[in-house]
Amino acid sequence: MSALKQVHFPKTPEEAARLLARGDGVRCLAGGASLVAMMNLDLVDPDELVSLAEVAELKGIASLPDGGLRIGAMTRHRELETEARLAGPFAVLREAAGKVANPPVRNMGTIGGVVALADPAADYPSALVAADAVIELASERGRRRVPAREFFVGLYATALAPAEIVSAILLPPAAAGVGLYDKLARVAGDHAIVSVALAVTRRPRGDLGVGLAIGGCGLTPVHRAEADVLLAAGALGDAAARRAGELLAAAADPLNDVRASADYRRLAIPRMVTRAVARAREELGRLG
Amino acid sequence: MSVRQTLVLRVNDAEREVRPALHDTLLTVLRDELQLTGAKRGCNHGVCGACTVLVDGRPVRACLTLAHTCRGAAITTIEGVTGIADRLRSAFEDANAVQCGFCTSAMVLVAAALVAERPGASIEEIRTGLSGNLCRCTGYRKIVDAVCAVAQGTGR
Repeated sequence: MSALKQVHFPKTPEEAARLLARGDGVRCLAGGASLVAMMNLDLVDPDELVSLAEVAELKGIASLPDGGLRIGAMTRHRELETEARLAGPFAVLREAAGKVANPPVRNMGTIGGVVALADPAADYPSALVAADAVIELASERGRRRVPAREFFVGLYATALAPAEIVSAILLPPAAAGVGLYDKLARVAGDHAIVSVALAVTRRPRGDLGVGLAIGGCGLTPVHRAEADVLLAAGALGDAAARRAGELLAAAADPLNDVRASADYRRLAIPRMVTRAVARAREELGRLG
Repeated sequence: MSVRQTLVLRVNDAEREVRPALHDTLLTVLRDELQLTGAKRGCNHGVCGACTVLVDGRPVRACLTLAHTCRGAAITTIEGVTGIADRLRSAFEDANAVQCGFCTSAMVLVAAALVAERPGASIEEIRTGLSGNLCRCTGYRKIVDAVCAVAQGTGR
């Protein structure tokens, strides 16, 4: 028997956050792709739900005056995978969106839901870390911004405070460059055994800015600034890619699970990184 | 005691008053309250795809959708879908794309949305489009053949 006694439909992020403060048994409902599955499996039994479906501000993708993008938390994977403004290095996010589960689930699931849940095998966390995105959070106390690189702190654990919701994902102005997301999985749409997210920016002076993160290989996305610097300094060459891959494999703390052993994942990381870097180098070359 | 609330759903172009529990999914309401049993309960957690219906024209999992979050939406089930779906039904018949039939209604709905959005879809696009729907008889090839016939206009 379900404990669910009330479903709220707030109209603003602040109202949603206020409703969440009603108690520990109050859960936030975004697209439902994870929460309703867990309810059906009796893994969670909320007393009340706060649906974000009618919070207009959380919908859609807006271009900001500075040229950046503001992605509302309720933006569906399907919208992101077809979003032309996710170009250059931010194509990493577009490719990640297109590799989440399968088309009907991509019509339901939202980026805010994935970010707030922080499943370490999900596709967005590593992509957002690679892109150096910023997560905007809303509560009754107002808004605050947390870099993606600080937001994911553990297994299903984030920088979200109680009674706070993810309101948007912010991206800086798009620069020239390439972004890609590659995923090793048992079948299309499964969670990643290893995923590689790579965002490369070509700066006006011609040098590179690199963001590289690994998903599915630890409690949070694996990112090391030294690996980014190695790749940039090595102009995305094979030797630099191998060293960056080895560095991330050593930094990773993968689990043994039904998808693969930890040892297998450590072996796969450098190979996946080398492959991704080679593709980025090729695409960057085509940019001229 | 589960809390029940009255709700008006727009299903297959008709307003239907239902009274689901707050935790009831759209799938439960369709099957148990409205007797629209074309949507199947397979895994009940979003993996198998047998419950897929169209909400505002897009395929979604009825088992992952709480009924009370569907107010104002247009829901289409296999019982009410027409147009491209009629051509798909004939094509499934011609290609012998139905074995046990459990996945068929969802396959037809997903394919109908796909062909409507992307007429002339390639076989790769069709395979990707259907990738969220499992056929327990593993009869994928004939299903893809049937959808290709409609998408590429080679069927009857």
